[in-house]
Amino acid sequence: MMSYLRNPNSPIFSILLSSSTTPNIKSILFSQQNQKLVKRRDVMSGGGNTVTAMGGGGCGGGSGGGGPCGACKFLRRKCVPGCIFAPYFDSEQGSAYFAAVHKVFGASNVSKLLLHIPVHRRSDAVVTICYEAQARIRDPIYGCVAHIFALQQQVVNLQAEVSYIQAHLASLELPQPQTRPPPPPPQHHQSQPLFFSTPPPLSITDLPPSVSPLPSTYDLASAFNQAASPSSWATQQRRFGDPRHQYGGSLSTSSATVGLGGGNSDLEALAHELLHRQGSPPPAATDDSPSRSMSR
Amino acid sequence: MNPKRCAACKYLRRRCPKDCIFSPYFPPSDPDKFACIHRIYGAGNVSKMLQQLPVQTRAEAVESLSFEAKCRVEDPVYGCVGIISLLQTQIQKTQTLLARTQAQIAVAQAKHSQTQISEFM
Repeated sequence: MMSYLRNPNSPIFSILLSSSTTPNIKSILFSQQNQKLVKRRDVMSGGGNTVTAMGGGGCGGGSGGGGPCGACKFLRRKCVPGCIFAPYFDSEQGSAYFAAVHKVFGASNVSKLLLHIPVHRRSDAVVTICYEAQARIRDPIYGCVAHIFALQQQVVNLQAEVSYIQAHLASLELPQPQTRPPPPPPQHHQSQPLFFSTPPPLSITDLPPSVSPLPSTYDLASAFNQAASPSSWATQQRRFGDPRHQYGGSLSTSSATVGLGGGNSDLEALAHELLHRQGSPPPAATDDSPSRSMSR
Repeated sequence: MNPKRCAACKYLRRRCPKDCIFSPYFPPSDPDKFACIHRIYGAGNVSKMLQQLPVQTRAEAVESLSFEAKCRVEDPVYGCVGIISLLQTQIQKTQTLLARTQAQIAVAQAKHSQTQISEFM
């Protein structure tokens, strides 16, 4: 698909492959990987783009070799030398990928976006843009945010399991003999942890930021529900710690509490419904958590 | 002209009709939200996307689009895929920690059993 087909060790490639909620992307990437990378086109000289030297079964191309790139083919326009899309959308299969990108983002928006990115990073950007476009087409309501929700729920469940097991270990290592060891921890991640009656809520505000420093200006949880009262689950969420503390060392921790006090009940409902749609049963609420109803 | 134009129509400098598709989701109090979405997706694309969705799901769609757009504005290369990457990294680390702790439990249980046997002897 992109230059990363030629480099399966790239992080973006592994991210997209490990994404279990994007089977189309995975199958596309695998099929592309198995194709023989024979075509190397002399790409346009305009950008001095090092990526253009990478040919691929699904990428490369340019107007120099003959024939428009996949983007210009899709747009039915002349592929000029220096076409910004040419290195990333070849004329054979690039049209299909570009169709999704154009439908979601629009060619001019993607072009402007790529122009603001250094040339050596554009291939990564194109891959992620294609991924988001495909995810949005597959799920017009949530796009790839559904995947983010699922991953964060997985993190929360794993952390609950680790906490339980660490407590079990601590009890085993106590000097005084125990009468009976605690029962074995739950084996699958979807079961409820014993220490908590309900798993902590899912909140987009606790999502880790991207690798670059982020301002704390956006707050999806409060955007979902401005009027909801603070949930007691917010304290449980804090017990696991804010993932942002663990990730971005350059980020200010002041952004960690964005949205937690704003109330998450509708967001929690959204998260649970997402998980239910993804196939994992939402955990049953046994404490006095606020009633959830999807904002319609 | 509607004095209370939605943020979208204000940004686009146009009249805000009564059936404006954007007005329920882009209040004038938050102009940045639409600015971000328009910068990444474009008003026309967002309008088409919303028109294809049932009315009751449009609010959630707008919020997810807003989130993705903000991620993309703040990280033009990776967008929200960067967040996916971080979450996957955390999952791997937590799984490693889980496996290590389970191994420690196995060792502790083995030691406990040996202690009990030696006490009987």
